[in-house]
Amino acid sequence: MNGLSLGEKLFVQGGIAQDLRSDGRKRLTYRPIYVETGVIPQANGSARVRMGGTDVIASVKAEIGRPSPLQPNKGKVSIYVDCSPTAAPVFEGRGAEELSTELSVALQRCLLGGKSGAGAGIDLSSLIVVEGKVCWDLYIDGLVVSSDGNLLDALGAAIKAALSNTGIPRVHVAAEASGEDQPELDISDEEFLQFDTSEVPVIVTLTKVGRHYIVDATLDEESEMSSALSVSINRKGLICGLTKRGGAGLDPSVVLDMISVAKHVSEQLTDRLDSEISAAEAVEEE
Amino acid sequence: MEYVSPEGLRIDGRRPMEMRKLQAEIGVVAKADGSAVFEMGNTKVIAAVYGPREVQNRSQQLNDQALVRCEYSMANFSTGDRMRKPKGDRRSTEISLVIRQTMEACILTQLMPRSQIDIYVQVLQADGGTRSACINAATLALADAGIPMRDFVTSCSAGYLNSTPLLDLNYVEDSAGGPDVTIGILPKLDKVTLLQVPSDRIICQAFFMS
Repeated sequence: MNGLSLGEKLFVQGGIAQDLRSDGRKRLTYRPIYVETGVIPQANGSARVRMGGTDVIASVKAEIGRPSPLQPNKGKVSIYVDCSPTAAPVFEGRGAEELSTELSVALQRCLLGGKSGAGAGIDLSSLIVVEGKVCWDLYIDGLVVSSDGNLLDALGAAIKAALSNTGIPRVHVAAEASGEDQPELDISDEEFLQFDTSEVPVIVTLTKVGRHYIVDATLDEESEMSSALSVSINRKGLICGLTKRGGAGLDPSVVLDMISVAKHVSEQLTDRLDSEISAAEAVEEE
Repeated sequence: MEYVSPEGLRIDGRRPMEMRKLQAEIGVVAKADGSAVFEMGNTKVIAAVYGPREVQNRSQQLNDQALVRCEYSMANFSTGDRMRKPKGDRRSTEISLVIRQTMEACILTQLMPRSQIDIYVQVLQADGGTRSACINAATLALADAGIPMRDFVTSCSAGYLNSTPLLDLNYVEDSAGGPDVTIGILPKLDKVTLLQVPSDRIICQAFFMS
């Protein structure tokens, strides 16, 4: 599908086997990550993340809504991803729908936790304004502008950066409106609440090519993969979500091995991402 | 509402004949043959060009010239309120068509028969004048891809509010309901390639003369 010749395929596979990939990286090294925050002024928070030829934008918009009756003390968060045809001509029209849905579902699984909202990277109870009546609905939108592999990790990083850039307006509730009435709200446009994003996990995708697995695969390397495992891990080293993609099966012992490698890689990635995010926010404030 | 103050300044502090700040960058999409970001104030669009390449759908192949295709899409977060259904609505289809026709007129299509050129424009932020910004971005991306052109198309919008002609409307001025035009010109050839006036607006001749 990516149109690699036999020679190129062997070159990619051979490089991975010898721990020296075609761009000079080792198997477990990421490409340099560049983070830029506040790229969409109309959103409550936004960030752009670039890793080599991969370029994604994430934005966070907050709207006032009603909490679900089953979870009256939790706000709602939804994640949607869209792949722009600028990234590849195959994404034109409805061509990106399948990949967009796959990425959205994987991100929801990795970042939002279970149906009850337990284990979510974001503290959902902090989105409540009046319990059972008013809450914030967070809409997280990802956009793939340019694609050179490893979209899931890049989107995860962009969402983490966008959330730490997000300010939710402080809401003053007018003196107790009793009963069933919707309380009157006064949304401040000066005071903003920041999220605690230290618990938001990072996503590490390990792509298995031949007998080895690599992190941060490029598009060429992804076309040679047999299967991939995406693990989302938070700062404490706890696993928040797992997704396996690709057709080939994995031996359970390999899965366990991959998870422990992913955990090790995630520590470096989290540190690097955090320093990039704080550097980006320092630039924005200037 | 007052769109031009007695001192002759607009809502965002510009003079009537002043444009917003322009910013452009080339080569932003690594995998595309040509790409550009174009910003006009808060309006921000990305254009990517793929081609000239083999025609994907054989039945569309033209034996005497290149096939030019265009797709316009808006990001969910590009507007003030979040959009829910961004793809394939009437407005984007119409703008795709406008961009395609404008670009087709300036590409030397007869030099590349039996091939296809795809132009994809993605709006990241919409604050009035998206049409013009898209055309400018597409021109830059085509130039970056090295596609032969007669001239560079440049485009801008203009409107008429509070009996003053205004250049380069932003979203607030655009939705005020006054007449507005989007014009695309080929500056070297000194020709107009695009002229659009929404039919629901009343225009007086004096506006055109200005």
